[in-house]
This record gives sequence, C-alpha cells and structure tokens, in this order.
Amino acid sequence: MRDYWLSKLFFDLQTPAAAAEYRENRDRVLDRYPLLKPEVRSAVVREDVAALTGRVNPYLLRFYFFAIGKSEDWFLERIRKTGSAAQDGVARG
Amino acid sequence: MASLVGVFASSHAPLMARAWESVDALRRDQVTATFTELAARLRAARPDVLVVVSPDHWVNFFLDNLPSVCIGVGETHQGPPEPWLRHLPYTSIAGHPEFALHLARSALEEGFEPSLSHHLELDHGFVIPLWKMGIDPLPPLVPIVVNTIEPPLPSLGRCLAWGDLVRTAIERHPGDLRVAILATGGVSHSIGEPDMGRIDEAFDRECFEHLRASDRERLLAFLEQRLEAAGNGAAEMRNWLVAHGAAQGKEFELIGYHPCREWYVGCGFAAWNLDGR
Repeated sequence: MRDYWLSKLFFDLQTPAAAAEYRENRDRVLDRYPLLKPEVRSAVVREDVAALTGRVNPYLLRFYFFAIGKSEDWFLERIRKTGSAAQDGVARG
Repeated sequence: MASLVGVFASSHAPLMARAWESVDALRRDQVTATFTELAARLRAARPDVLVVVSPDHWVNFFLDNLPSVCIGVGETHQGPPEPWLRHLPYTSIAGHPEFALHLARSALEEGFEPSLSHHLELDHGFVIPLWKMGIDPLPPLVPIVVNTIEPPLPSLGRCLAWGDLVRTAIERHPGDLRVAILATGGVSHSIGEPDMGRIDEAFDRECFEHLRASDRERLLAFLEQRLEAAGNGAAEMRNWLVAHGAAQGKEFELIGYHPCREWYVGCGFAAWNLDGR
C-alpha cells in the first residue's frame, strides 16, 4: 500500500530547488509534511530503504536516494537486500 | 483519409543520456547504428504527425490524479523537465491538436475514455529515442501517456485495443495526413526493485518472437504469464502493444536488441513493415 505523504514528499523533491533545500535542511522540509506518519518519517531520516520499499513507487524511491546524493551502488546494495529479506521471510514461512 | 505511414518502437533507457559511456564502445556503436536505422525509417515515412506512446515518469501525474491513458491535445508540449536532459533541443514541442482531438473523439465514440491534457511535459520516455535518432526538428507530436508506472495498470488486451483504436481514428480522419507511431520503453528491466539491474534476455527474445508471429491470443497469453516477472519496467511493453495493434500485427521486424546491464535495460528497437516488405 502506498503512503500518500511519503510519495508526495518524494514527488515534490523532483524539483531541483526543493531537493537542494532538503539536502541543506531536511527537518525543515519534513516539517511541511505534518501528516507523514512518525514511523515513516523516522525511516526517511534513517535512510532505511527496506522500510520505505512498498510504501512508495519504486521509481520515486530510486529517484529520492539519487536526489539526496546517494550513489547508485549504495542504493543497489540496499534495495537488493530487501529482495533477499523478503525471500528469507517466505522461506521461514 | 489520413494514412498510417510508419510504426516503430524504441527503448528509452535514461542512462543512455546520463551514463552513455558506461557501456563499452562496441555496444555503443551498435546502439548508435540501430538508432540510425530507426531514424532512416522514420524519416522515410515522412510523417506529418508522430504519435508517441510512452509512460509518464511522475512528471505530469501523481497519486492525486493518475489516468490510465491520457492524450496530449495541446498546441505545444513542454520539453523534458529532467535536469540531465536540458541540453536536448526540445524546449517546446509542437503538438497537433486537430488530430489529437480527432483521436480523442474517436476514442469516446468507440467506448474508450482517455484523459486529455492541453499541456504536457514530455519526459525522457518521449524524447530520448527521438534525440538519439537525431530527429530535429520534430514533426508535430501527439503524445499518448499510458500508465505503465503505478499499478493498477491498464490491461494488456486493452492496450492492444488502443492500437486498433488509433488505427481506426487515422482511417476515419478526413484530412490528407501522414501519421506515424512510436512506442517507447521496455523491454525487460527493473527499477527501484530488489532485482534492479536484472535483464531477462530469454523473455525479451520470446517477446520478439511472439510479436513476429502475430498471433494476438498467444502474444497476450505469453505476456500475461511472463511480463510481470520481467521487471516493473517491462510493463512498458504495453506501449509496444499499442503499436502492434495499430499495425495490425503486420511484419514485425526487430531492428536491434542490446541488453545493456550498465543501463539496466534490455534495449529493444523495432518497426512494423506496413507495406509487407
């Protein structure tokens, strides 16, 4: 299930100026999304790819980490782990 | 009566623009040769209007309003908003509102309900193939945005039916217009998902075989069974289905296939030879 406000945050950050402001003062920007669930905001702050996966469209997820300056390798390492985590979960039933 | 003069398909991998040199020189040359061939065919078709079928990658639409299909009926469209495409010569792109509205009216008459937009921004999905083909200036463009990004997506059968509809609209148009179609996206790729970077070459090649065989039921059955597993980006094959429907499945020809892991995409390029060459 998509999280609307998380999606809205990532969508809005496609504007280069918004992304620049976010990189400069993340909390100030996050405060403009008061309906962002606390656990979701926490996952954003922790840069927790696994916790954000599924709550937002994969294209926006990938874009977000690109926008905040994470390398492609950084993102790939984490997103791929979410797959193995899911498989582990299935295997454990 | 207007005439359908060309039907084409091309991948639109963003990394062809952002990281062109991440692929070795040999394969870059092969991709360039493919684009050159595609461009020659598009130019030979001499279209007065080019219908481009592509997704919207979160530029015009969001969860607030997410049409399954949207036709761009504006006099002009805005060029790509992506900062890494600012160097492209497509700041403002001419539309063809007369044909676009004719297409929209034809759709409504036939039981299709597209959204309409009088001002679209055309992102990399629309412009990268045209740029790589070196098409400048562009013919007037009529964009058709198909939601292949955020589920639920339009059904595969409906996309094929959209192709039939586009063809019908062309045949019903009273003017002496030459209309070509370019579908963009695909083939297998996965973006922002755990298997990001995986290319399913077997799927891609089977897909081409089904398009070539032109058995609609088998093509749809194959895609129903295999498309989802080929990555979320493979959903863009819906755009190819629109092209395939418009071409009535005639003479599919694979112009090039370049699976480039560095660009994350099984890059496919095709034409439907309408005159049965």
